[in-house]
Amino acid sequence: MQLAGPPRTSSVRSRLRVAACLLLASGVPVLAHADGAPINTLDVTTLLYGEKDRARVIEPNVRVTRIYPDGQSFSGQLGIDVITGASPSGALPSGSVQTTTTPSGNRTSSEQGATPLTSFQDLRVSFDGDWTRPFLRAFTSTLGLRVSREKDYRSVGANAKLSVDLMNKLTILTGGLGFNHDQVDPVGGTHGGLGDGTVIPGRGVNPKEVHTAVLGVSRIITRRWIMAVNGSRTSEGGYLTDPYKVISLMDGESGLTVGQVTEQRPSTRVRKDILTTAAYHLEEDVIHASYRYYWDDWGVKSSTADVKYRSEVDPDAHVYVEPHLRYYTQTPADFFTFGFVQGAALPAYATSDYRLGPLRSVTLGATVGFELSGYPGEWTVRAEYIRQYGDASKANVTGVQKQFELFPAVNIGTVVIGYSLDF
Amino acid sequence: MRIAGVALLVALAGLSTGCAATAVKPWDRDLLAKKQMRLIHQPMLNAVDDHVYFSKEGSTGGMDAGGGGCGCN
Amino acid sequence: MHSRLFLLPITVLLASLFIGPPNASAGGVGADTLAAPRFALPGLHGLVVSDSLRGKVVYVDFWASWCEPCRRSFPWLKAMHEKYGSKGLVVVAINLDKERRAADDFLKKFTPPFTIAFDPEGKSAEAFDVSTMPSSFLINPTGMILSTHAGFDLKRTGEIEAEIQGACSK
Repeated sequence: MQLAGPPRTSSVRSRLRVAACLLLASGVPVLAHADGAPINTLDVTTLLYGEKDRARVIEPNVRVTRIYPDGQSFSGQLGIDVITGASPSGALPSGSVQTTTTPSGNRTSSEQGATPLTSFQDLRVSFDGDWTRPFLRAFTSTLGLRVSREKDYRSVGANAKLSVDLMNKLTILTGGLGFNHDQVDPVGGTHGGLGDGTVIPGRGVNPKEVHTAVLGVSRIITRRWIMAVNGSRTSEGGYLTDPYKVISLMDGESGLTVGQVTEQRPSTRVRKDILTTAAYHLEEDVIHASYRYYWDDWGVKSSTADVKYRSEVDPDAHVYVEPHLRYYTQTPADFFTFGFVQGAALPAYATSDYRLGPLRSVTLGATVGFELSGYPGEWTVRAEYIRQYGDASKANVTGVQKQFELFPAVNIGTVVIGYSLDF
Repeated sequence: MRIAGVALLVALAGLSTGCAATAVKPWDRDLLAKKQMRLIHQPMLNAVDDHVYFSKEGSTGGMDAGGGGCGCN
Repeated sequence: MHSRLFLLPITVLLASLFIGPPNASAGGVGADTLAAPRFALPGLHGLVVSDSLRGKVVYVDFWASWCEPCRRSFPWLKAMHEKYGSKGLVVVAINLDKERRAADDFLKKFTPPFTIAFDPEGKSAEAFDVSTMPSSFLINPTGMILSTHAGFDLKRTGEIEAEIQGACSK
């Protein structure tokens, strides 16, 4: 273009007062029909999840979002999880075939040297609703409600978030608070911790409360690069023990399991994390990368690195492939133990749940996105492989236990099919 | 923790100073306006993942101000 | 120790928010005393030259195909063109897409009856000191800026229409 005219009139920089616009922050495109009617989006995903020899999950989710021309939006999501299978009870492999009955009436059995599993099945139904509203040109508020229910667990929660655009939306600051009230109602009753599983008489449901605060800043760095830093603090109080997990007692010399006690976790937990995320636009493709550092007062510290590379295979037909790599590593909780020697004094808190142990997990997968010509909507199909493994080399076990694989790798496959339609 | 704090400070120093001098003009945000450039570009998949990792790992956290709500096995 | 260290980055986060490029806005000078920047840009049918629009009330709108509120403003721009075109209004919508193809794809779906100009380098937007997308400027027949509007909000269109009406009836 040629810009005509003398320099005096060629720029009105710093003289015009132009108010900030309330719509279209870079990361928050607002959609609407040209005639000003609200636009609706339907999102459906179905997760198929399977662990080798363990749990299976089918989880369909349906979300409907309605966006009004003024930027206000409502959305609601309904989800159902159907879970069947088995998970490790926490017990050590026995020296012989072992059968025990859990408080929930489930039967636990295991081959000699194999990790004992507890079978279970559950149905979880969840609903959440969100209301987002831009106001005063630079602000956006979001209010959310969520409820979920399963056989032995109920949860009701609310959260509020406030964002403000600064410096022509180069920077967005977000703060939020969340609250959850949960009720744990173990099948078969609540047992005392570090005991033989005897149910505490008259004990009703066990409450659990969760408070979360988040603070974040996102920033446009260049035309191709946006990044954000978020910190969060969550404090949990109440019944945080897993009612179905146990800890083995082993013979001090032979290492053979001679009994077990129920696990017991502290009744408070304070979790903190810092998450950095970035998106970078190459010529056509986009790289997403994130790193999270997490630490809590149970002694768990974790690092999570995540990279996705979205490659535009055919931009005109909206076909892309997005490989995904994630690496996770955590330190065990202070009170994690593989088992106790019979007769030894028990600590105040203990768990053998591998999820609080020295755990690593690697995720490898890819998403394919496409449209079917002649049909509306976008499809995504994602397949991933997750391998969880741990380090039992320093396990506090004796005798025969040293020959067993105390932290067998968990192999998980997931497939997610997604469909999204604007109407 | 200390390492994370230092890393964060460095990141923020970068975010808040040097880069600000070359502010991206409103009409230069064509790439940033794309769906795939949102920091959470696939919110549905992201929610599924959060749920999976929440129930399979000892730590959790992220961008949402939502609490837990799952007695996952 | 952890909890105090946690506060430190948050403090820095907060501090960093207020460091940035100087804001383009500065009050004091009334908008109606400013001469509009001049431009000569390729359009759909030859050059669009600001000087040749003297004597008309001009509504300059900066837009791009990737900008949702810009798209939403098009039906309203069309309505203004139809209502006030005969009364001396010229609507000039300056496209700021980097690639002409993106603009053309959009214009195929929505064929605007008003004037379209193309400025892929954004020099005119720079000259007008556009702070957000879309931004619009109402210019009187002598080339002075009467008012500026950042963003597109259906609720504020009545206000803008009143300004257009006022400018056309002078």
